[in-house]
Amino acid sequence: MYNSEVRGRLIDGDKSYSQISREILAPIHAKTPLWWYGALLVSLSMFGWGLYCKYITVSTGIGTWGVNNSIAWGWAIINFVWWIGIGHAGTAFSIFLLILRQKWRTSINRAAEAMTVVAVFCAALFPLLHMGRPWLFFFIFPYPNTRGPLWVNFNSPLFWDFVAISAYLLISASFWYFGMVPDFATIRDTAKSKIKKAVYGFFSFGWTGSSREWLRFEALSFVLGGIAAVLVVSVHSIVATDFAVSVETGWHTTIFPPYFVVGAIFSGFAMVLTLVITMRAMYKMNDFITDRHVDAIARVLIFISLIMGTAYMTEIFMAWYSGSEYETYMFFRTRLFGEYAVQFWTMFIANAVIPQLFWFKAVRRRMWMVFVISIIINIGMWFERFNIVVTSLSRDYLPANWASYSPTYVEIGFFIGTLGMFLTGVLLFFRFIPMIAISELKSVAKFDKPNNGKLKPATHE
Amino acid sequence: MSKNYILGVFDDEATLVDAFEKIKAKGVLPVEVYTPYPVHEILEGMGNKTRITHAAFFYGLFAAIGILGFLTYAAVIDWPLRYGGKPFNAFPSFIVVTIVATILSITLLTLFTFSARAKVFPGKKPEIFHPGATDDKFVMVLDKESLGQNAETVQAIIKEHGVVE
Repeated sequence: MYNSEVRGRLIDGDKSYSQISREILAPIHAKTPLWWYGALLVSLSMFGWGLYCKYITVSTGIGTWGVNNSIAWGWAIINFVWWIGIGHAGTAFSIFLLILRQKWRTSINRAAEAMTVVAVFCAALFPLLHMGRPWLFFFIFPYPNTRGPLWVNFNSPLFWDFVAISAYLLISASFWYFGMVPDFATIRDTAKSKIKKAVYGFFSFGWTGSSREWLRFEALSFVLGGIAAVLVVSVHSIVATDFAVSVETGWHTTIFPPYFVVGAIFSGFAMVLTLVITMRAMYKMNDFITDRHVDAIARVLIFISLIMGTAYMTEIFMAWYSGSEYETYMFFRTRLFGEYAVQFWTMFIANAVIPQLFWFKAVRRRMWMVFVISIIINIGMWFERFNIVVTSLSRDYLPANWASYSPTYVEIGFFIGTLGMFLTGVLLFFRFIPMIAISELKSVAKFDKPNNGKLKPATHE
Repeated sequence: MSKNYILGVFDDEATLVDAFEKIKAKGVLPVEVYTPYPVHEILEGMGNKTRITHAAFFYGLFAAIGILGFLTYAAVIDWPLRYGGKPFNAFPSFIVVTIVATILSITLLTLFTFSARAKVFPGKKPEIFHPGATDDKFVMVLDKESLGQNAETVQAIIKEHGVVE
């Protein structure tokens, strides 16, 4: 068992339990700051622009996108994979750190899970609209129909993907929600306004904190945590099979599933950093999300960045070592030193080189630097997906099929729209939901207290 | 709150557990204990057991069998189609959907079980003995009648560190 002295304190400032509740709930009870409205306006206008572009996509058709016969997947799948990757952090944080008994997760898991739910929503929009006729979306459900019944193709990774994404959305949303029930009860019991009492009272599902409830709540978290761990790994592996089971150069590799899972956790952790640093700056959560929390995430990122670098180099090595002329051409003549060299090297430097700056404590301790690097990682991860999707499709086995791709304003607007949707979701989360898991934080707060010796060593996993 | 109950209200986990164990040694079990976060000594001491984990296992077992059965029925028996030279019963590629859909079934069914067994559901009116129990108070609820002649001793134990309300 870790000793809190060795690991550093989990919460700063010797807070009492009621102080913890009050300070975390402050943004909900306080007057909404002006910057919040400003930010909401910006994100809603981005969202609105996205809606307009979606309208064009649906009313005119996929022809308004820059995709063509050779490069049939463009920004839509790039952004889909990117968002799903970001969405992986929430569950990775909650589950892996829960299994590894990392108590510092309690300050961050709620925000990470919120991010997951919104990011998966954003992701799901892309395949939905890429169908061209989204109102026939229900064709993908295996339901008894009048066309045979003709069932869907259970051998297709695209169907696996549909199942995985829907399951992931439902599971992460319910895991997130049930984690919040005790905190909603805290708001209900501490709020002064009647409306807040009624609204949060409804959402708290009549939670009282009795031993019967806690007993089952813990069993529930245990079950959901255990099985969702499998899901984290499987969902992005399935996304990877969308590529890996095809016979395209650069996609047809067995490294893809683990490489995608690691990449997803990488971009997700980076986005978590972006988010928690914003929370610290805007809501003065420094006592709960301490420098040590940021430090810990940054150190995890160094490790994942090394894995990413290894994966990139493994791919390049295998392209050469396999002796396959197509693979060699793809990696050396298209990606490394060809038409898409800029994208490749942006990806490589942003994901495998720049995060190595986190080795330096001076970098990890400067919040603005951590913030900038976390953004760079997310840009790098976007380029990774661009690199995978576009380069492989643009250089087919038949040179007659070779094509270039550039997005139209509709695709760009669609992407900006999902960014706006994500920001709107995050802002609403900041304003209306306790952004740190209060009850979980209280359960670890005692490890910082001096009367620790009196207690039996209790674990809260 | 009510005439029939006495509440022992504590400020932290250690004093609550201490009083809980002393009272239990007198042969008195509180009706219920309310805490801001799960306290394992209390959860064990109250003697309640939960079988949610067992239920989840069986949900998973039946879901997996059901889903695999459905996939086999749909793709092999009802309307077989040959995709990419694979046999009708392309068993390995059914596994992916089976795993993910099983996880989904376990999650949803376990959530409903939790909701039903812990009686936590939308629209429920909470029975609040002490409003601080979700914030910073550790509250023990004792039934006055069951105390009998222990009433005074129990009150004294509570007063060592806590407050009687």
